[in-house]
Amino acid sequence: MIQILHTYGRLLLQAMGQTLLLALCGLFFACILGMFFGLLSVLKNKVCNVIAGIFVDVIRGVPMIVLAYFVFFGIPYCLNNMMGVSFTLTALQAGTICLALNCGAYMAEIIRAGIQSVDIGQMEAARSLGLPYWRAMVRVVLPQAIRTMIPSIINQFIITLKDTSILSVIGFPELVNSAKNVVAITFMSFQTWAIVAVMYLIVITILSKVARRLERRLNRGR
Amino acid sequence: MAVNKNNVKIHVSHLKKNFDSLEVLKDISTDIYEGEVVVIIGPSGSGKSTFLRCMNKLEEITFGDVVVDGVNLSDKKININQVRERVGMVFQHFNLFHNLNVLRNLTLAPVDLKKASKEEARQQALQMLRKVGLEEKADAYPSQLSGGQKQRVAIARALCMHPDIMLFDEPTSALDPEMVGEVLQVMKQLAADGMTMVIVTHEIGFAREVADRVIFMDDGYIVEEGTPKDVILNPKEARTIDFLNKVL
Repeated sequence: MIQILHTYGRLLLQAMGQTLLLALCGLFFACILGMFFGLLSVLKNKVCNVIAGIFVDVIRGVPMIVLAYFVFFGIPYCLNNMMGVSFTLTALQAGTICLALNCGAYMAEIIRAGIQSVDIGQMEAARSLGLPYWRAMVRVVLPQAIRTMIPSIINQFIITLKDTSILSVIGFPELVNSAKNVVAITFMSFQTWAIVAVMYLIVITILSKVARRLERRLNRGR
Repeated sequence: MAVNKNNVKIHVSHLKKNFDSLEVLKDISTDIYEGEVVVIIGPSGSGKSTFLRCMNKLEEITFGDVVVDGVNLSDKKININQVRERVGMVFQHFNLFHNLNVLRNLTLAPVDLKKASKEEARQQALQMLRKVGLEEKADAYPSQLSGGQKQRVAIARALCMHPDIMLFDEPTSALDPEMVGEVLQVMKQLAADGMTMVIVTHEIGFAREVADRVIFMDDGYIVEEGTPKDVILNPKEARTIDFLNKVL
C-alpha cells in the first residue's frame, strides 16, 4: 500500500485532477443543457414540450457507456467514412459531451419538476402586476424553484462525478483508467483499488459537506 | 364616491369562455364604470372567478370582447402587460412572493418595470403599508404573517402599481373568520377613495354595504344585476332567491 502510494501517488493524484476537470467540464455544459430543456418543458408550447421530452427520453434510455462509444468512435467514423469530412474528437471533448448530455437530461427533469412545484399562483400574481413571463420566471418562480431543486442537483453532481469513471473506456486518463495501468504494472489490485475508492470517497464527502452547508445557508432567509 | 357613468372602465360584450369542451361563461355582457364597486355573487362553479380572470386576461378569452380602458383584450396584438399594470388583482390565496420580504414584494414590480426608482418605490411601499396598517412588517417574510396580514400586504402590493381598477377574487375565503374584518375594512377604505372595484365574494353583508351594483351569476350567465337593495333584498329571479336563501 505504502509502496503504491510512494511510487504512484503523484500519478493517481494527477488522475484525480483529470477526473475533476472532466466532471467540471461536463457539469458546466450539463447545467446549460438542463436549464434549456427544463425551461422548454414548462413552456406553454406543445412543440417545445415534445422536443424536451424526446431529448430526455432518448438520453435516459441509452446507457452512458454506449453513448461514450457512440460519441467517441461512432460519430467520427460516420463523418470520416460515410460523409468524407475529416473529424476527430479528443477523449476530453467526447467525455465532456457524454457527461453533459447524460447529466443534462437528468438536470432537465430536476429543473422541470422544481419549476412545476412552485404554486401557479406565484406566476399569476407576478403577471397580474404587469411583469412579462420571463421577468416573472427569473424574479419570482426560479428563485423558489431552485431552493427545492438544490438537494437533487447536488445528488446529480455526485452521480456525474462518479460517472466519469465510465469514460475510462474511451481512454481518458481519469482515475479509474490510471489505476488500471498501475494494476497492470504492479499486480497489486487490492491495494490500488482500495486507494482509488478512498480517493473518490474523500472528494465526494467534501462535496456533500459543502453542499449541505450551502443548502442550509439558502434556507436561512425563509 | 360617485360613479361616473360617462366613463366605462371595463366593457364586456358577449363574452364566452370554454375550458376544452366545458362552457364556463356562456354569454356575458356588462359595463363597469369609473368609481363603481361591483360585487359578483353566485354559487360555486357559476363562473364568477373565471369572469373576473378574463378582465386581466389571466384566462384566454374564447369569444366576445373585454375592453379595458379602451384596449380590447381579445385583440392578439395588444401588450397585455401594459393593461395589467393598470389593473390590480388580489387573489384568494394571497400569492405573496415567498422568496421576498414584504417590502420587496411591494417594490418588485414598480422597480422592475421602471415605474419608480428604488428609493421612490421604497417610500411608496411604506406609505401603502401604512395605509393597510402593516408598516412595522416591512422586513418580515410572508411566512411570518397571519392570513389577514398577508391579504392586506397583497392589496398594498397591487396598489403600488397605482391601478385604475382593482379585481378581488374571493379575498376573504381563505381567511379565518376573525381576520375577515380587517381585510374588508381595507377594501371599504379603498371603495371610499373612489377606486373602481370588481369583487367576487361570498360576503353578502359586505356586498350590501359597499356595492354600487351586485351581479348574481349562475351557470355561466348573469342572472340578475342591480343595486344591493334590488338584488339582495328584493331578488326577482327564482335562482337568486334560492341562492340567497341558502347563504343568508
